[in-house]
Amino acid sequence: MKKSTTYLIIAAVVILCGFYGCNTYNGFVSQDENVSRAWADVEAQYQRRADLIPNLVNTVKGYAAHESETLQAVVNARTKATQITVDPTNLTPEKLAEYQAAQGEVSQALGRLLAITENYPDLKANQQFSELQAQLEGTENRIAESRRLFNEAAQQYNVAVRRFPANLIANMFGFGVKGNFKAETGAEKAPEVQF
Amino acid sequence: MRKLFRFIPPLRAILPGISYRAILLGVAHICAFTSLLAATYTPDNLPIPYLQDKTQYVSNPDGILSQATVDSLNLWLGKMESSHGIQTVLAVVERIEGGEAYDFCMALGRKYGIGSKEQNTGLIILLATEDRVYYILTGRGLEGTLPDAICKRIENNQMVPYLREGEWDEAMLNTVQAITSYTDGDDSLVGHSDFINDEDREIIDAFFTGLMYFLLGFGIILLSMWYDKYKKSYCPSCKKHKMKKVSEKTTTDRRLGVYHHHATYRCSNCQFIKEIHWDEHIDRGGSSSSSSLGGGFFSGGGSSFSGSSFGGHFGGGSFGGGGAGGRF
Repeated sequence: MKKSTTYLIIAAVVILCGFYGCNTYNGFVSQDENVSRAWADVEAQYQRRADLIPNLVNTVKGYAAHESETLQAVVNARTKATQITVDPTNLTPEKLAEYQAAQGEVSQALGRLLAITENYPDLKANQQFSELQAQLEGTENRIAESRRLFNEAAQQYNVAVRRFPANLIANMFGFGVKGNFKAETGAEKAPEVQF
Repeated sequence: MRKLFRFIPPLRAILPGISYRAILLGVAHICAFTSLLAATYTPDNLPIPYLQDKTQYVSNPDGILSQATVDSLNLWLGKMESSHGIQTVLAVVERIEGGEAYDFCMALGRKYGIGSKEQNTGLIILLATEDRVYYILTGRGLEGTLPDAICKRIENNQMVPYLREGEWDEAMLNTVQAITSYTDGDDSLVGHSDFINDEDREIIDAFFTGLMYFLLGFGIILLSMWYDKYKKSYCPSCKKHKMKKVSEKTTTDRRLGVYHHHATYRCSNCQFIKEIHWDEHIDRGGSSSSSSLGGGFFSGGGSSFSGSSFGGHFGGGSFGGGGAGGRF
């Protein structure tokens, strides 16, 4: 082969690699943005739950004042959870597990609180409490849905970033693997309700 | 199976003269009939009349609601869609698979994409009379107008009292009426959307990507052609690239079946002259360097283009899990 043809071929290969690299990088960027958006949604839903809790605690306090332990547990768990912030650019599996654990504690405390409200028929008949409960249930549903969508987005991103040869470009530009929500440990056991 | 055959002789004693075939047919009919009675619906097999007739929002496969109720509901829900862009599916059945109203509604919403894609104003109302569950599921865009608490309030005041009495018609009529009173007061919901469809956007994107690659390929071909000409213009005498074609003559030799080409090149710098002679078979055309690029950029696209004036289609809205429901 003549030298000039070789140069031409090398040039073409370099150009093609450049285009491939560009495309892949841009693909990573849009996937990353998808994950960030899904994460913002998850945070919004958890925040919504956190916002409902003070109202709930006050309503229950009006009817079940001596359940102060359980009420305080909910307030504490909520405070702890709202203090953990996760930067969307740093959604590593470890950070996510930490966030999930904190929110899981809120869920547990809430579950215990709602279980004891079964003992107070006056409270259950209260229209405001019934609506609050509906809001909480709706928020839990929304949390579950947003977590599902986040997991989907994170999985798509992870597959794109880990495939070969795309992972070479990912490592070059620092696109790490994102964590995702795991099923709650102990979710198989329903909370006990003692009368 | 063989154990069942034990029952056939006594049957023959009760109904003399009946054949085995008649018994089998009878049993089969009874089985089919009972399965029809207790039809359990999944999100996949629930009939959606809206797809055939866009004025029909109510799915009433078990005939629980009266026709008058269905007509009234369709009227109100139709008004809700035209003035507020809310696409509704209202389903009243006896049983749903799994008995969980929320899961059923979410799966239905995911399957059909009810509500416009830009506004996500979908609404699913489900009532299962034998399972005794109900749910109102609101699309993401409706969560402001119909928050969970309001849905619960509507259900507690307008639905549940009638459900306990088994008055399904009243329950549904009052519920939808209450919902319209909330949606009518909200100006943020628009009836029409003028946004570019997502599918159109995808076609435009695909077109530009294809165009980019086409131009790239074209560029490479042009580049190689120029390079070729550059090489050919090399003058061996003064070592510069200044050779130009001066003349070309082609003679045909049919006996041998070839064209005789004769071309003269001259260097504009040192006047060095080079003559080239080459043959070309008659049947073969000139070498074409243009390969067939592109073709098929416009892949698929647009179920948005199929819009019959009678059947409706859902806009692709999504559900976030809002709304409320319960048991009665």
